Amino acid sequence: MGSSIARTHLSPSSPFLLTKPVNCIGTSPSHIHLNLQKPIFKKPPNSRFAHDPTSKNPSFSLSCSTIDRCAKVQPSSVSEKVQRLGFEFRSLPEPIDRVKRLLHYAAILPPFDESSRIQENRVSGCTTQVWMEVMMDRNGVMRFRVDSDSEITKGFCSCLIWLLDGAAADEVLSVKPDDLVEMNVGLPSRGNSRVNAWNNVLISMQRRTKDLVEEKGRGNLEQISSLISVNGSCSSKNQASCGLAVHELI
Amino acid sequence: MMITMEAEVNGKKLVYLDNAATSQKPTAVINALRNYYEAYNSNVHRGIHYLSAKATDEYELARQKVANFINAAECREIVFTRNATEAINLVAYSWGLSNLKEGDEVILTIAEHHSAIVPWQFVAQKTGAVLKFIDLTEDEVPDEEKLREMISKQTKLVVVHHVSNVLASVLSIDQVVSWAHDVGAKVLVDACQSVPHMVVDVRSLDADFLVASSHKMCGPTGIGFLYGKSELLSSMPPFLGGGEMISDVYLDHSTYAEPPSRFEAGTPAIGEAIGLGAAIDYLSGIGMQKIHEYEVELANYLYDRLSSVPSVRVYGPKPSRSVTRAALCSFNVEDVHPTDVATFLDQQHGVAIRSGHHCAQPLHRYLGVNASARASLHFYNTKEDVDEFIHALSDTINFFASFK
Repeated sequence: MGSSIARTHLSPSSPFLLTKPVNCIGTSPSHIHLNLQKPIFKKPPNSRFAHDPTSKNPSFSLSCSTIDRCAKVQPSSVSEKVQRLGFEFRSLPEPIDRVKRLLHYAAILPPFDESSRIQENRVSGCTTQVWMEVMMDRNGVMRFRVDSDSEITKGFCSCLIWLLDGAAADEVLSVKPDDLVEMNVGLPSRGNSRVNAWNNVLISMQRRTKDLVEEKGRGNLEQISSLISVNGSCSSKNQASCGLAVHELI
Repeated sequence: MMITMEAEVNGKKLVYLDNAATSQKPTAVINALRNYYEAYNSNVHRGIHYLSAKATDEYELARQKVANFINAAECREIVFTRNATEAINLVAYSWGLSNLKEGDEVILTIAEHHSAIVPWQFVAQKTGAVLKFIDLTEDEVPDEEKLREMISKQTKLVVVHHVSNVLASVLSIDQVVSWAHDVGAKVLVDACQSVPHMVVDVRSLDADFLVASSHKMCGPTGIGFLYGKSELLSSMPPFLGGGEMISDVYLDHSTYAEPPSRFEAGTPAIGEAIGLGAAIDYLSGIGMQKIHEYEVELANYLYDRLSSVPSVRVYGPKPSRSVTRAALCSFNVEDVHPTDVATFLDQQHGVAIRSGHHCAQPLHRYLGVNASARASLHFYNTKEDVDEFIHALSDTINFFASFK
């Protein structure tokens, strides 16, 4: 089970606050000071994922906060968020500023539960280690938790979490790797490179989402559980053997 | 000459230091490829028409060039493959499955590339043969003395790299071959990191099998080669079935062509082979001994500069009069992920290095890390490239330190 800090990842009010506003363009990292306030949360039993069954919005509200500050209107759909993210990174013409922005997002990605850093949760890739937990709640909302041992990759993951955590499965599946090319950090997202963090993590999120959708489609899981999760090597066809985890809520 | 080397990346002049992954291509190689497709594109060994004869001549001439380049006794000892990985798989599936049995031992080092380990795991699973690995000395080179001690009458094959793609160490292949042959074992040499950078003479080494990849030696991707002693190749069954590799085909059985055709099923990578021949002409025109001497100087310079950067740990042996390093350094910066280092070097400085496990996970586990960064040079790199890399790396380290 996750640590208390890890659970705050999806808590309705973010535990992380910027002490200074971040400019939309040309933000200097030296002006960014994170105030890691102690989280206030209620412990959700039997789940690493904080859960608000009524919420359809991602509760990881701070990630990509720069974007939110630039726009008065909060993006509500994944496609809007993709556009916002593209806008944000396009507004940073210097590579170093894009890297700094990713490092900022890496810094505000909540800690991943150490016990979840297991082989089954690994996203396959060559150059960095990425761990991922994926769940679907009873409303069909997807929940993602991701971590990496590389700061820049964590930044990528943080953006993906902001995009997709709390989205409906069909929205998760609608994102194309090419949509992320606009971010223009590191490798282009096109192509199926084993070192392409955007591509690898996004594809893994979608593959696992698809597995969960198929599981749910079979119609029996909801009778025994309101929250299902799947780890890295699972597919809908080998649920028993690969250890599909079933977590019950209160 | 090397068009890519003049390129700009992220507004900076490219400093390409990922040559252990793949080399840049001389114009002569690109022209050879273009000339094949423009002037005499045709399938080989089949047509009687002019174009086919011309393509066949050039394809077989490329084989001869490879044979001459590594001093093979005859060109039929050269089998064209897709790459070195396929060449190793060829030996594993053909020689390995028909010569290894339960209890036989295959000795490898923990520093082998995955492509030299995984095929033998397949063979071991199918035959019951046992894989045994030697680790490193305190100087972080594969322990040749332990290798010598490990060789026994059960040993049927030794699989070793010539130059390590991570440690930059150079193994004494002639010694290893001598010890292996004393017990009747064969030796397969992964020469991917040596053939492009130094004189490699298979007859002097007396290796039984040797593999290398075109794209690391200024040639095109999609082609590599296997060298095998004639008598060994002749005794081996086919690896893949199809056209080109047969003598006669009946409905219930087939007879097979002699090597090397026996191992080249289907239409080969004709243009790529011809391009590889052009790369060999190019390298030979400079001279492999000259290239090697220059790269040793670069290697020492790179090691000295990099190992003097604070918080950098370079893997592999320290160069000395008796220890020669290849012109590459795998390293880690304290508390910074190598991929972050590589990304920043690329984005901010246009310096291309590699990060990851370099297809050597067992070695990285032994070294106690998941990944490393690697700067690898070729003859067209300069000390100025190294200086720019070191300058960029120092800036990278300072950048990440400012975030802590």
